[in-house]
Amino acid sequence: MQNTLKIALIIIILIYIFFIIKSVKRKNMRINYLIFWSITAVILIISLLIPNLVEYISCKLGFEMPINMIFSLAIFIILYLIFNLTSQISNLERKNTALVQEVSILKKKIQDLEKLYNIDGGGENEK
Amino acid sequence: MKILLIIPAYNEEENILKVYDNINNYNLDKEEKIDYIVINDGSKDNTERILEENNINHINLIQNLGIGGAVQTGYKYAYENDYDIAIQFDGDGQHDINYIKNICGPIEKGEADMVIGTRYLDKRSSKFQSTFMRRFGSKIISLTIKICCRKKITDPTSGFRAINKEIIKLFSEEYPTEYPEPESTVEVLSRKYNVSEVPVNMNERIAGKSFVNVWTSIDYMLKVILAIIIDNFSIRRRRGKK
Repeated sequence: MQNTLKIALIIIILIYIFFIIKSVKRKNMRINYLIFWSITAVILIISLLIPNLVEYISCKLGFEMPINMIFSLAIFIILYLIFNLTSQISNLERKNTALVQEVSILKKKIQDLEKLYNIDGGGENEK
Repeated sequence: MKILLIIPAYNEEENILKVYDNINNYNLDKEEKIDYIVINDGSKDNTERILEENNINHINLIQNLGIGGAVQTGYKYAYENDYDIAIQFDGDGQHDINYIKNICGPIEKGEADMVIGTRYLDKRSSKFQSTFMRRFGSKIISLTIKICCRKKITDPTSGFRAINKEIIKLFSEEYPTEYPEPESTVEVLSRKYNVSEVPVNMNERIAGKSFVNVWTSIDYMLKVILAIIIDNFSIRRRRGKK
């Protein structure tokens, strides 16, 4: 395996593991995502431990250079991730809208009731 | 029939009082009063203070949701309070309150589930015919709806519309928030409800500006067309499965 590739992989894995451990400690990520990130870390470690694995696979698949395979793999994984994220954002937006509407309507009801019973000295009825 | 005007307002400090006065004047000589609710969509100006000081019936959205989310809040309110007809009515003074009778007519007679107030049906009834670009955009969107739903809607982007109880329930559960006017029309049409149109008069905005230029309108048009096709497709598929 090329030395530059090796060094790059080592650095990436170190940063990776650092972030994963950090978020495990803070408990700020769902297990689902943690599993995804851990699996990618494990794949990186395996490709480092078995010296000619990356070369072998990329050669078999017809890549001219191993790094090309890694790049294209990374791009596909990132595309998949972004797609997932946008669909989740849309989902969250919808839920957020429903939440804002519900809270605002409830707030109005509470204020109307307060006015009706003069709880904070708020004058006459609304209508 | 209990009628509710839903008035979405975003930064309408200059117009909202005028609209409120119009409603009061309209109610003066009618036996059947219409109710209203102003949805303050997180305005950054003094809209909230004006609503509060004048005791105008309103809901303050705790966050800005955009016109679609604001109007849907009104529909939810209408559903909870058991209204028979809900009318979307702009807070910027564009819509003429005297056309409410016309717009409710087909619903009261049971001829339509949704009535759209249209600018283009009768040239004389509306002084404000809007710009060429808007009319052109409307034509194309209307053509798309005709192809998808086989029904001609002359003014699919009109925000002056009335719906009956059944549609209030539908909209309070599911209302498109991205391009609410054309998309909700498609939602209703693809569920095989009756939509009809009546000519209305629209004034130019009392104050403030609407920001439209060529590129944003082309961008808007393309996205709306896509949205219509997707909506129509997904609703039909769901109907098919049932």
